[in-house]
Amino acid sequence: MRLSWYAWRLSVATLALSAALAPSAHAADVALGEYLAGECVTCHQRSGNSNGIPSIIGWPADQFEVVINAYRWKERDNVVMQTIAARLTDEDIQALAAYFEALGKLTHPPTPAGKS
Amino acid sequence: MISRRQFAKMAGGTVLAASGALALPALAQGKPKVVVLGGGPAGATAARYLAKDAAGAIEVTLVEPAKQFITCFHSNLYLGGFKSFEQITHTYDKLSAQGVKVVHQAATAIDREKKQVRLADGAVLAYDRLVVGPGIDLKYDSVPGWGQEHEEVMPHAWKAGPQTKLLRAKLDAVADGGLIVMVAPPNPYRCPPGPYERVSMMAHALKKAGKTKSKIIVLDPKATFSKQGLFQEGWEKHYPGMVEWLAPTVHDGVKSVDPKAGTIVTGFETYKNVALANIIPAQMAGKIARDAGLADGSGYCPIDAASMKSKMDPNIYVIGDASIAGDMPKSAFAANSQAKVAAMMIRGELVQARTFPARYANTCWSLIAPDDTVKVGGRYEDKDGKIGTIEGFVSKTGETAALRKQTQEENMGWYDGIVADIFG
Repeated sequence: MRLSWYAWRLSVATLALSAALAPSAHAADVALGEYLAGECVTCHQRSGNSNGIPSIIGWPADQFEVVINAYRWKERDNVVMQTIAARLTDEDIQALAAYFEALGKLTHPPTPAGKS
Repeated sequence: MISRRQFAKMAGGTVLAASGALALPALAQGKPKVVVLGGGPAGATAARYLAKDAAGAIEVTLVEPAKQFITCFHSNLYLGGFKSFEQITHTYDKLSAQGVKVVHQAATAIDREKKQVRLADGAVLAYDRLVVGPGIDLKYDSVPGWGQEHEEVMPHAWKAGPQTKLLRAKLDAVADGGLIVMVAPPNPYRCPPGPYERVSMMAHALKKAGKTKSKIIVLDPKATFSKQGLFQEGWEKHYPGMVEWLAPTVHDGVKSVDPKAGTIVTGFETYKNVALANIIPAQMAGKIARDAGLADGSGYCPIDAASMKSKMDPNIYVIGDASIAGDMPKSAFAANSQAKVAAMMIRGELVQARTFPARYANTCWSLIAPDDTVKVGGRYEDKDGKIGTIEGFVSKTGETAALRKQTQEENMGWYDGIVADIFG
């Protein structure tokens, strides 16, 4: 399975999807971002709805990276976010940033606040 | 959202060639079939993610007898008057709309040999892979003198639904000065901080109703409990004199319960005229899992830490409260996390989807009093064959009111987020 995984990564990196996103210096692994985001979306809703927990849908990737790194180095206060960020590598963060930025472009705008 | 199948099309032969080295599993005619048993945080999440991420390449059927799901998580908030019953009630129509075939029947048996599930109405569902998320069953014989026939008189409310409403009604009926006794459960059980959040919510409701002469006694088989220092600090601060938690060394065990008389006898004291007895017994995996031979001597189901696959059957995944998940507590958050790993691994097996090393997470928020919430959580991974904690966190005593209020806002935000993630 591992060998196939690396082969996937190579092909993903050259796929048109990266071009569909805002052009970036390095093609981030959006599929990795989507997988890692499984942990995020229980609180940061994919729909963009927010209630006590801010929406991160459509955040510009570089801004996203700055904020997550701030949690990672414990410069920003929130023990849940600090614990999450501590486990993320640079590559993970770039992937997540790319995924959430892309989500802002591909999904519908957030629905009004209230029962989802 | 671009699916992996579209990726494969765009990449031409590259991706398929890379994965062609793997032998394709022998599948039934047509699309691979996954059947999911249980429509709670575990099963519904698995069904949803399978349908969503396989983009129609897998036929997903969810078997859940109830037409509505009442969340056990935040049911304590309903008890305390912070949420309505409607706010903890959810339906399956969004899941259906997302391509999950929802069957409102009870599953009566799993035929592991034939890879079939039998339903109460006689129907048979074939599967290539089975996800089992039945939650817990109560060990009704674990508290002497109490049994299933007494659960209306002395409710457990450890499965949300009618029991939740019953407990709330009984709580509201407690007069000022009334005695409430909770028999807390032994490990391992669903929702470690749950009983203590419930104590907090009951105390709050009583206090709000001006019934501060009432008392809540907790008879615990455990020497310590989740977030103990935080709860005890909170009880002293918000409900002084109303809550007494007794360790097993103090009460010396629950010797007998008399549901008719409303009496509970411990080695230490006899409690008479108990206005409300909340008996939370020992627990085990849901019957469908145990009957299928998926559980071990503990009553829960051993799984492979890297995938949530059952150690008893390579075609079955067991997730949520029914599973033995190492350091992870039995919680909705954990169930949802495990479900996503299982869904990913199943897609990897059935449609050669890309998989990543399993990562699990949990955070449990507990409301102690208005705007005073504490949390505990962590991140987990496969550590030498068990799901082990990589990093954990817990609230601290003496935190500011502002922080506790923010924690409560997170709690409420999380609830909206996770039910959207589970039910669509």
